[in-house]
Amino acid sequence: MDIHDEDGLSARFDALRTEMDKLNAPRGVEKELMQAFARQFPRKRRWFERIPAQAWAWTGSLSTIAAAVLVFALTAHAPHPGEIGRSVVARDHGGLFIALDSLERIEREPNPRLVETEVPRTSLAQLGVPLTPENAGKPVKAEMLVAADGQPLALRLSSTH
Amino acid sequence: MTTSPSTTDTDLLRQMRSGAADAFAALYRRHQGPLYRFALLRCGSAAIAADVVQEVFMGLLTGRFAFDPLRGQLHAFLFGVARNLILKLDAPRQQPVALADGDEDDDAPELPADDACPLARVLHNEAAEEVRRALSLLAPHYRDVVILYEMHELSYAEIADICQVDIGTVRSRLSRARAALAKRLAAHV
Repeated sequence: MDIHDEDGLSARFDALRTEMDKLNAPRGVEKELMQAFARQFPRKRRWFERIPAQAWAWTGSLSTIAAAVLVFALTAHAPHPGEIGRSVVARDHGGLFIALDSLERIEREPNPRLVETEVPRTSLAQLGVPLTPENAGKPVKAEMLVAADGQPLALRLSSTH
Repeated sequence: MTTSPSTTDTDLLRQMRSGAADAFAALYRRHQGPLYRFALLRCGSAAIAADVVQEVFMGLLTGRFAFDPLRGQLHAFLFGVARNLILKLDAPRQQPVALADGDEDDDAPELPADDACPLARVLHNEAAEEVRRALSLLAPHYRDVVILYEMHELSYAEIADICQVDIGTVRSRLSRARAALAKRLAAHV
């Protein structure tokens, strides 16, 4: 400052400055300004917030229906363990007849022979033979139909229990 | 984004324009006090001073008052905007000023530092209240210069820019205003 304090004003201004330093704009001013700022720069909504609630409801409904249809379809078409090789497994006089080759091949065989044998139960589980922890170690008595060239054609299990 | 006290006004403005609310709040908190006190001393009404501060920052927010960092500091720009707003508010109640250039008579009407203005009640210091009262009797264009120079310690160049006069006019107004203040205050002793 290049004004000399010959008039003694500086001390008075110092006093006024000290007194006025306590004064600030009312808090309501800042509040109103920040509200104006929020209007000027609305918060950018994230992508999922931009989707209207009605669209979310439709999406949820369609998803639920799609999931139900999918579960139904999978259930309807899932292979049941007992149905594996259904076309080549049949009941025959209380026992199970399991074709190991096609029925045409078996019928065409001119000179088949029967051989008595025992088959591990675990190897028959895939063909639908009941398998429990109690009987898992017991072999199953069977008659094997063998072609003239020694090729196994079919099995007849005497008892699966 | 960070708004530490060392962040410059220009950076805060840039952040504010990109939507950073905390930058706008930091700018406001940094400058509202001096602007409010300037407006309060200048017009004598707390309500008007608050309106002026709000208008200044609203204009800054909306871009109505465009600040160019190449032309000076933000605080000087804000003082200029505040002064212009006060002049507009003053216009309807403008009265012939007694302390015109070259006129030593300074019987301008005292500003309404009344119930609407808590200033007189706040100023417990007698010396402060005396100088506040003497200031309020100065003509507005003298009051501007004195407040900006004595209370806000702005340079002649900044005051010249704010008041849109040349530096020589600032010097002469300040000199005359101080003389008038000294005369009035001496009369009270």
